[in-house]
Amino acid sequence: MQILWFLFYILIFPGFLFTTFAGLLLAGIDRKVLARMQRRIGPPITQPFYDFVKLMGKETIVPDAASRTAFLTAPVIGFVSLIVTAVVIPIGNFLAFRGIADVIVIIYLLTIPAVAIIIGGASSGSPFSGIGISREMVAIVSYELPLILVLLTVCKKAGMMLSGGMTFSLSDIVVYQFYNGTMVSHWAMIPAAIAFLMIIPGEVGTQPFDIAEAETEICEGTMAEYSGAPLALFELSHAVKMFVMTALFTSLFISGWTTGSIVLDTIIVLAICILVTIISMTLPHASAARLKVEWLFRYYWKIVSALALVSLILVWCGL
Amino acid sequence: MFKKMIDDCTVKSPWIYHINSGSCNGCDIELVAVLTPRYDAERFGFKLVGTPRHADIIVVSGPVTSQSRDRLIRTIEQVPDPKVVVSLGSCPRSCNVFKGSYSVEGPLDKFVKVDVPVAGCAPKPEAVIDGLALAAKILEEKRRNMAK
Repeated sequence: MQILWFLFYILIFPGFLFTTFAGLLLAGIDRKVLARMQRRIGPPITQPFYDFVKLMGKETIVPDAASRTAFLTAPVIGFVSLIVTAVVIPIGNFLAFRGIADVIVIIYLLTIPAVAIIIGGASSGSPFSGIGISREMVAIVSYELPLILVLLTVCKKAGMMLSGGMTFSLSDIVVYQFYNGTMVSHWAMIPAAIAFLMIIPGEVGTQPFDIAEAETEICEGTMAEYSGAPLALFELSHAVKMFVMTALFTSLFISGWTTGSIVLDTIIVLAICILVTIISMTLPHASAARLKVEWLFRYYWKIVSALALVSLILVWCGL
Repeated sequence: MFKKMIDDCTVKSPWIYHINSGSCNGCDIELVAVLTPRYDAERFGFKLVGTPRHADIIVVSGPVTSQSRDRLIRTIEQVPDPKVVVSLGSCPRSCNVFKGSYSVEGPLDKFVKVDVPVAGCAPKPEAVIDGLALAAKILEEKRRNMAK
């Protein structure tokens, strides 16, 4: 019986089916809202779904210069690790798997999709992919530092109240917010929340931060040689990553409440995710051009890390 | 069941790859104008992609010059099936004012099969959208025949 529940968690509710649906929905709303911001009509909200299904029906070409196994397994690795991340993240008060240190698991799991992109790009044997993976590495180094600082801040804030030290359990963070109000209602946490909002587009790789997949400069970079089903999986991973990052923001900063019904909770979490998507991804996309590689690095290590550090110091001082 | 779903989605999400084989840049600007807020081809799902591997519709503008001939043929061969070739403007149809030049090899249909020709020097954005919509329909038909 227990195994059946685990299968249900992984394949249907917080796992594969729900995450895919939510990710495609967020990606569609992102494109629609972006079009409305530019005074266009824009594609229908179901457009990412059409793109995905169409790519599944296209021919898959493996270049002669590519190493076949790595080229075809890289998208699967990235997608599966994202699904596992989504299972660990709580939706409202519902948590499929309880762990002692799931924040650390999430730090590792969130790196794997980017590493999968690097593996895929490196094995495709195209010079454009070579430039793309070097840029992707710079992007990882840039956003990992502020991401870990923000997570440390949240863990310390929740841990100080519950045990005096640090907690690395997401369920503890949710419990803390249940008793003490949401994280954003503590003023010391607001810089960390803003820093996390700035990290989301870098982690997902949307327009001003998509240096690794710059289609106008380096022909889609790491994706240059992909076609057909592997490309469809990468597009799906991109959409699912949007949901995973916004859901992580929701559970770290705006959770702890419950309406009693899991369906209502899920709908409210989805609504918050849509709001976070529009604020953190669509607005920069509509208003800014793509950053240069060194600008991205400087932006994340100077501004975003400084914001996260301010929060960390304030929390460490007991505020 | 999946086959019908894929066929239906193919017509709704055609991705464009643009090749300039020696054009004067007039048609290229008109193609970009189609994607701007005024004409907004993205509402039909059209999207300009940066590599031939992602493309469904290949838009070729300009007469085929001797420098670009081999590269053009090689690039179009890199596009995964099903694919549709659209010629944009009068130059790929008849070489237009460049006919007889020492560096022009001839019209596009001498080298690849053209599915939709869009005439005009340069074609109006409405004509380009019309041609692209026709190309999307041909794309769906090709996909249906491919899977058989």
